[in-house]
Amino acid sequence: MSVNPLPAYPARPAGWTRSLSEQGRNPLGLLLLAPMLLWIAVFFVFPTAWMIWQSFAERGLQPYAAILTSPIYLKVLMTTLKICVITTIGCLILGYPVAYVLTIAKPRTRAILLILVVLPYWLDFIVRSYSWMILLGRHGLINQLIMGIGLSQSSLPLLYNLFSVSIGMIQILLPLTILTLFSTMIRIDRRLIDAATIHGASPWRAFLTVFLPLSLPGVYAACLLLFVSALGFYVTPALLGGPEQTMISQTIMVIASDLLDWPLASAAGVLLLIVTTSLLLVYSRFFRLDRMLGGMAR
Amino acid sequence: MKTTGAIAVNGFAGAVLIFLLFPVLVVVLISFSSVDFLSFPPPSLSLRWYRTIFSSWEWIDAFLLTLQVGALTALLSTLLGVPAAFALSRHLKGGQGFVNALVLAALVTPPIIKAISIYLYYVPFGLLNTVPGLAFAHTVSGIPFVVINVVAGLRGYDRDLERAATIHGASPFRAVLGITLPLIAPSIIVGAVFAFMQSAQELLIAMFVLGTLEKPLAVKLWEGVRVAIDPSLAAATTSVTVLAVLGLVTVMLAGRRTRVTRVAVRG
Repeated sequence: MSVNPLPAYPARPAGWTRSLSEQGRNPLGLLLLAPMLLWIAVFFVFPTAWMIWQSFAERGLQPYAAILTSPIYLKVLMTTLKICVITTIGCLILGYPVAYVLTIAKPRTRAILLILVVLPYWLDFIVRSYSWMILLGRHGLINQLIMGIGLSQSSLPLLYNLFSVSIGMIQILLPLTILTLFSTMIRIDRRLIDAATIHGASPWRAFLTVFLPLSLPGVYAACLLLFVSALGFYVTPALLGGPEQTMISQTIMVIASDLLDWPLASAAGVLLLIVTTSLLLVYSRFFRLDRMLGGMAR
Repeated sequence: MKTTGAIAVNGFAGAVLIFLLFPVLVVVLISFSSVDFLSFPPPSLSLRWYRTIFSSWEWIDAFLLTLQVGALTALLSTLLGVPAAFALSRHLKGGQGFVNALVLAALVTPPIIKAISIYLYYVPFGLLNTVPGLAFAHTVSGIPFVVINVVAGLRGYDRDLERAATIHGASPFRAVLGITLPLIAPSIIVGAVFAFMQSAQELLIAMFVLGTLEKPLAVKLWEGVRVAIDPSLAAATTSVTVLAVLGLVTVMLAGRRTRVTRVAVRG
């Protein structure tokens, strides 16, 4: 076999054109893909494009100006971002150790733990927020405990504030966090940690210098995914938050169904869409889709 | 060789699991409460709230509507998602990144955006206030679950089995139908069940598409949560949970079959 320094075929057009012309030679892939692409186009892309059009059609840029200059809407935007940051950090702090334990557990223990982690993931959002309403209420279990122990004489206001919204959202997003982190951690070659230990590193040092850096891609992926998911929350802040914790989805809902101002609602939707789409583009560059949710079938 | 560090990590993980599961336990226990106010733990147990729920036509209608929408969503998601997963993992030459990004966007775009855009879009088509209209919209979020699972399933599948069938005279199509699909069936089932569950839990699109005339379970729960002070809601939510756990059991049984077949395949 001789190595030919020059390509034997004419240089092909780059990127999309090349990809399309190659599909043309073997159309089976496109044929299998077409129905799904068509469906997503008709029931997701076109409606979204229609919404973008609707946001400009009646009053031009006015709805956008109205949102970006109104202190109320800007405050909602800031609140939304704040809650998303708190939720993301909280999920990572609570989820990382669990994912680590899952990774080092024996297969049987791991299977049981995975079932426990996934179980709440199957329960309705509304159900899960509702249970926090029962637990955190004035006469709820937590307040009974606090007063029982004698930490406080009167019941504490645990509900309808930033605390309750964060707790509720963290609990809902934790399974997603753990599965995303776990799917990266399980791919780390554990012999590397053994190697570090053999060479004299303490378990803690081996974790810090070997395992933690190798798990960072999963942490970044989880960060993006959690943040994007948290951006769209509606039920939890509505049930567990007070007026101060109003998030963007609730505001869009009010604009659409109470004020019936569709251009304004669409414009707010477009702004939210811009944020989520740019985050997603970053995500899909670094993380493969089939690793999501730990490849749930496994 | 348990070090203090290992014990601390395990303890922390255990505490997080309790945090994760405790709220679920609370709702399930309260649904069996015998008194008509929300107290935890309930003074004594009874089935009265389940009788209340299942003797009310409003709740039964909500259940049936959710089942209809969810089943249609799961069916459509599977029919569209499985071929796409095959294309993604086998037949596509380039362009995977684009398809991945599109499927991901279909999954995590905030529900409120999907809801208002589909509402504005459905108005001229007359799809508002129809069950298929809602299922068509839910299918967009159901497809990703099928695709993610089937792509993962195909990655773990030994393609030599299919080649063996082809060598023995089966057409490629028949080999996929007779050998590959049965072997990756668990992944397909998991995807379909997830597609069903996301439809059953979806609130905003359902509110916009169905209006206030017909109420699936999620909408009924949502309205109930804001007014109800008796445990009937806990009973209704626990019924949804039972539905979810039934789905989970299906998945686990399917998962067990995968492991068995994998062992068989590896010899």
